[in-house]
Amino acid sequence: MWKTCANTSIVLLLSSLAASGQGSYTPSHSQYSPAPAPATAAASAPTGGMFESNTFQQMANSVFDPSSDSMDFQEGSYQWKGRTFNLTNQRAFRARFERFLLDSPSADAVQYAALMAEIMNRLSVGTDSSDDTILEAWQLLFQASEFEEDGGNSTIVANQVFNAWRIYKETRGTALSYKELEDIRRNQQEVVANRDRMLRRLQEQRDSGGTHRESKDKPSESSSEMPTEAAFRALDLAETEAKIVQLEAQNAATGIQAKLQFQSQIVTFVMQRRFQHALVLASFYQQLFKGSQQKLEVGTEELKSFLPNTDLTFTVDTLSFMSREALNDVRNGVDAVQAAYEEGRRLLALERVQETFFLGEHLSDLDRISVEQRRTFLDIYRAMLEAQELADAKDYKGVGVAVTELAAMADDFPSKRVLASIETAMSMSDMAVFAASQYRNRGLIDQARDELRNAVEIWPSNPSIREFQSETTRLATANSQGEQIFDDLYAREDRRGIYERRMELGFALAEDPERKPMLLDIVDQVAQMDLLIAQAKELTKQGESFAAWELLESARAIDSDDAPMNRARAELAPRVARFIGYVDRGDQYAKSANYASALTAYLVAQDIYPASRTCRIGIKQMSQALMASLLAQED
Amino acid sequence: MIYVSQAKDGKAMPIVLIVLALAVLIGALALLKGDDYSKLDDFPATAFLEGPADYMGNEYVMRAQIDSQLQWERGTGRLVAVKPEMASSRLPVFIPEGTGQNVQSGQRYEMYIRIEEGGLIYVEDLRKY
Repeated sequence: MWKTCANTSIVLLLSSLAASGQGSYTPSHSQYSPAPAPATAAASAPTGGMFESNTFQQMANSVFDPSSDSMDFQEGSYQWKGRTFNLTNQRAFRARFERFLLDSPSADAVQYAALMAEIMNRLSVGTDSSDDTILEAWQLLFQASEFEEDGGNSTIVANQVFNAWRIYKETRGTALSYKELEDIRRNQQEVVANRDRMLRRLQEQRDSGGTHRESKDKPSESSSEMPTEAAFRALDLAETEAKIVQLEAQNAATGIQAKLQFQSQIVTFVMQRRFQHALVLASFYQQLFKGSQQKLEVGTEELKSFLPNTDLTFTVDTLSFMSREALNDVRNGVDAVQAAYEEGRRLLALERVQETFFLGEHLSDLDRISVEQRRTFLDIYRAMLEAQELADAKDYKGVGVAVTELAAMADDFPSKRVLASIETAMSMSDMAVFAASQYRNRGLIDQARDELRNAVEIWPSNPSIREFQSETTRLATANSQGEQIFDDLYAREDRRGIYERRMELGFALAEDPERKPMLLDIVDQVAQMDLLIAQAKELTKQGESFAAWELLESARAIDSDDAPMNRARAELAPRVARFIGYVDRGDQYAKSANYASALTAYLVAQDIYPASRTCRIGIKQMSQALMASLLAQED
Repeated sequence: MIYVSQAKDGKAMPIVLIVLALAVLIGALALLKGDDYSKLDDFPATAFLEGPADYMGNEYVMRAQIDSQLQWERGTGRLVAVKPEMASSRLPVFIPEGTGQNVQSGQRYEMYIRIEEGGLIYVEDLRKY
């Protein structure tokens, strides 16, 4: 054991000397020129600090970002199965998301969900697609629009359908006019054709009846000079033709307008993630327009940016499919959130709930997330944002507390990784401060300044930096008073006082050949006492009270007035009272040359603690002294 | 036969008397010596630990087992740590040279002791038991 103690004491003694070297071993420039750079200084070059700081920042940005990977707030986009939604800005999204987490599902929402389901059911292909069913579905839209959750979108759907119906009705009226014009045109064509045929026949009869060539030319001359009846009839026919063409164009324009309005609104609903309304409107579209009208004529540019990686031709069916897929995905997303939450993977659940919320913000499936779950998500969300802000400010202690809280809330939060990163950053900063101290003590001010800047860069609120500053100030002021302080303390035999001021005294007495060795001796002695006291405390913890007492006795031999040593003795004394009673008695007898009684006392004490070094030495010394006195008596 | 015995009795009587006298003398010496141990008090080992100086000048008989030899000086004697019966701790005793005993650890002795100056336990005599 003593061998171990000796080794440990050497190590601690060396470390104590290294610490004391900050003051007492301060070399002059001539002695240490060129001064070897301290190991820590070499390890913590300024660029290393920047690297460490950036590494922590990158880690913090990834760990404390509560957003899902599919969200890119820099680009303002949200990726969903190859589709890109416009995410707006982060602040606006956070506001909406936090409002959702603070909100509670209402009974109205349940009724609204049921109503929308009913509308979609009536419009589905599988059910009766009669005009009455469609009309009933249309009427239900007005009920749906009364709910707050609907946001008036059902009214838009209803208006679109009504508009299409009205256009259809107008087209029917136009169809009647068209039919009449067709009849008129047919009559006019017949009239014109008959007139022409009759004229030809009359001309042929005249020619065959021997009329003169002159008379043959007359009618033509007369017909070219003034309009004939046939010309008027042809003019009427041309006017009728023009009216028919105009009517046809008008019909086509009206139909196209209705179709385009419908398609435009469906695209708008999809882009706004109003998937239920998009589906309802698409269903109406398919009922109102024939199959050949399914190709989208509007919104293709928007859809191309929405679906950047596709060459497909967009149809209303495409939008229906997409809307239905989104509805299913939201439902599955909520299921995934519930499963992750139940398993305690709340960080994962939070990421999924964000994705699901963005996609299904207007869908009632999100109401399956309970109030308690929403509050938990809100707590985690806010804690992560706060931790990120603390990390940005490099408040590592604050980040540590936040991480502990987050780990308590979410089992899957990578707290160990963050804490390890914090420890590394703090250690790097501390090492930089230590290197700055070393440089300062060697008088290398520029290097000290660099290291200090490095330490501040890594961890601005590092308490060691403040200590460094106050220590530097103290050293500067103590330099002029060092000799006087040392002499006073030495005269009072206040070793502890000298040891505690070793830094500034080391500075002040660095060039004093008389006091410097004295200072070093005292520093060594107190360091040795501290080591013995520390070992005694450790032994006491292990239940080795007698061994601890022996160590304190060794410390007492160095300086019997040392306060920490006497405090430790006082704490330990009750546990070894009988032992120290006999040892003290032995010491007293020994002092009064009462060797036999002293020997008796040491033997009794050794019986209490057989491994006692004090007793072993006492017994040996007293035996020799007693025998010597007996010899003297004989002489 | 009687003659012979009478003749022989005249020479044998003094021898018998001498033998008897020696036996009586030896017995008397033995009785006297036994009295030295028996008239002494038992050594109060436990009380002695608390104040050895209080017992100076006293003589006791102590039964103890040899624990270890602490010191030996040719021509003077030896310091031995013994463990008295009915005591929890060891005590040092001084056995002067010439007691005629080979003192070894583990042996049990009945000791005739005297408390000397300074609380020294001085062995006047000892015998195994």
